[in-house]
Amino acid sequence: MAKWSLLGLLTLLFVGLLAGCGSSSTSGGEKVVKIGGIFDITGATADVGKPYAEGAKAYVEYINSKGGINGAKIQLIDIDYAYKPPQAVEAYKKLVQQDKVVAILGWGTGDTEALKESIAKDKIPYISGSYSENLTDIAKAPYNFLGAATYSDQARSALKWIKDNWKGSGNPKVALIYNDTPFGKSPVEDAKAFAKDIGVDIVDEEVVDLKALDATSQLLNMDKAKPDYAIIQETWGATATILKDAKKLGIKTKFIGLNWAAGEGLITLAGDAAEGFIGVIPHAFVHETDLPGMKAIEEYLSSKGQKLADKNQKFVQGWVSAQIMLEGVRNAGDKVTGETVRQGLEKLNNLDLGGLAAPVTYTPDNHRGTNKIRLAEVKNGRFEIFTDYIGY
Amino acid sequence: MKNPFVMGCGEFRISYRQDMAIYKIPRVRSRVIIILTLFLIYPILASPYYISLATIAGIAAIGAIGLNILTGFTGQISIGVGAFLGVGGYTSAILTTKLGFPFWVALPISGIITAGVGALFGIPSLRLKGLYLAMATLAAQVIIIFIINRWDSLTGGTAGLVVQRPTIGNFSFDSEISYYYLMFVFLFITTLFTMNLFRSRVGRALVAVRDRDLAAEVMGIDLFKYKIIAFAVSSFFVGISGSLMGHYTLVISPEYYGIGISIEYLAMILIGGLGSVMGSIYGAVFITLLPVILRELMNLLGAFFPDLTAVFAGFREIIFGAIIILFLVYEPEGIAKMWRNLKDYFKIWPFSY
Repeated sequence: MAKWSLLGLLTLLFVGLLAGCGSSSTSGGEKVVKIGGIFDITGATADVGKPYAEGAKAYVEYINSKGGINGAKIQLIDIDYAYKPPQAVEAYKKLVQQDKVVAILGWGTGDTEALKESIAKDKIPYISGSYSENLTDIAKAPYNFLGAATYSDQARSALKWIKDNWKGSGNPKVALIYNDTPFGKSPVEDAKAFAKDIGVDIVDEEVVDLKALDATSQLLNMDKAKPDYAIIQETWGATATILKDAKKLGIKTKFIGLNWAAGEGLITLAGDAAEGFIGVIPHAFVHETDLPGMKAIEEYLSSKGQKLADKNQKFVQGWVSAQIMLEGVRNAGDKVTGETVRQGLEKLNNLDLGGLAAPVTYTPDNHRGTNKIRLAEVKNGRFEIFTDYIGY
Repeated sequence: MKNPFVMGCGEFRISYRQDMAIYKIPRVRSRVIIILTLFLIYPILASPYYISLATIAGIAAIGAIGLNILTGFTGQISIGVGAFLGVGGYTSAILTTKLGFPFWVALPISGIITAGVGALFGIPSLRLKGLYLAMATLAAQVIIIFIINRWDSLTGGTAGLVVQRPTIGNFSFDSEISYYYLMFVFLFITTLFTMNLFRSRVGRALVAVRDRDLAAEVMGIDLFKYKIIAFAVSSFFVGISGSLMGHYTLVISPEYYGIGISIEYLAMILIGGLGSVMGSIYGAVFITLLPVILRELMNLLGAFFPDLTAVFAGFREIIFGAIIILFLVYEPEGIAKMWRNLKDYFKIWPFSY
């Protein structure tokens, strides 16, 4: 008898669901290309995830205001998954099975790697905020594309820069600081192998949680090995914690943060402690207003009554990811499916992003896009770029 | 023909067989069969996304029933469910990918190994009760996840393991519909087993341990033995659930088995109803679907108030928390009890005095 209520409950919930879904199908006669978005607005990486999502949504809105792509409007259906892989799986199923999207802009390393099997099976091109080296394996992840240099490439470029600019005696000593997630551990092995090849000593590794508010014990531990440099693979929150604690403890190590550790938000969080911090920068800062690509962002923002100064580098990053994806859609022609978008992306050759990022190139057997990054140092509360786009 | 709107006013049993039945009244029995049939034809009527939601809820229900055996029926609180799900998932993944076992062998083995691990962490339960036991099982959670994270060569570390859908001969459970039926079979067996467990000697002993362990011991119930049994049986189903979930999502990684998942499972049995098999199922459905419904609701509101979209994203968490709190305050015995109240109300309606 009790089973009745299960049915009742289910019906009730599904009615609620259906009512909720009804609003999303607004085609009204014109052609619509549906793109999915799985973003982190409220989770552990929301500090950088929120501006990234805003940037991606902004680009879609911008391109629609220009008449869409090949006469079709782009609809971005976005879901906040709070950095929880099980919720990402559920969100993915909704986007693919319910909304029938042709491509997805994703977010984290853990969930992107978790989804790559399904992505390949469902033939859904996927550009995420994760630049994990594991996603470049065409055989295992044929539908994943990387919008910027992989974490491993970023770390290699940073190590190469350290080696090239090393003036002391012996090999430079480097420590690695990361978190215990697929995102944090992604570049570690590759960085160690590369360091060995070029003659940089990795002297210490420390694990600092993504949401850590204290890193003193790890930093004291690290300081025993007296590293000259420390490479940080975290987001803004944890990086700010590390920099503040390092300043408090008087640690002289020079900190270099990979892409998600660097950006304007870090300075807001870390204040003075950020001075001298070096960031690996794959995308442009909003204060680089002379870049041709920045004009489009400025134009979009002014139509919304906003200024470039309100946004940050992660916004640009989301904007560029969406731009790369939609260039793939443009190349797909009139018949837009997951497969044609993939072929469209594979046609991109030195795609000019107006200086917002290094040009990307995809081929059927290489989805890396680029391995170029720039380096920037915090001086007087502002990131100053001090290299051109470099690789390793 | 009997009037369908009239309730039966008494039961008259004339054989032990009738006395032993779970559903004693023929009308109720046929109703149960009709509902089961409805669930069997559900995937034919629903779209793949709704089938996948039902599958996720169903797999969670198996784990929730497992936890309810331990916490609801035996009174031993556990905050280690997440990790035990992980043990099940990883055992199954390692057996199928590294050792080449078929899924059908790996599934029961993962249940058995999880039962063993659960029993091991259940040993302190003889000395520890309530909050102390909660802390001990929390330790299990931390230890197991730490091992999974660090034993890279076996578990793939934080990157996790990729598994395949089960197959029979040439048939693979690739589609949503086929996996739904697979889940349904296991959920049915689990439900049937657990309902019957608490009509047996062992089950009665477990309930006695919950109600007053000292009195149970005086009556000759071996506390240690039955507590370990509760931990083992409970973990067995949690392990099965973990394995099924792993083969459904195709990837197993430590992020799936965090402390948050443990709390979620506790919420399922609390909201569904402690000590109720059907309650575990209601709770699992509720907790699985609530975030989805809230998300859709917030999206709907966001369409009307585009400037407030960011605010609604935060609202979602607040409402989720508030619903759970209100549930615990106003109906601590959960959805199962709400359903019973409703039935009782209609049984005597309109003459409620």
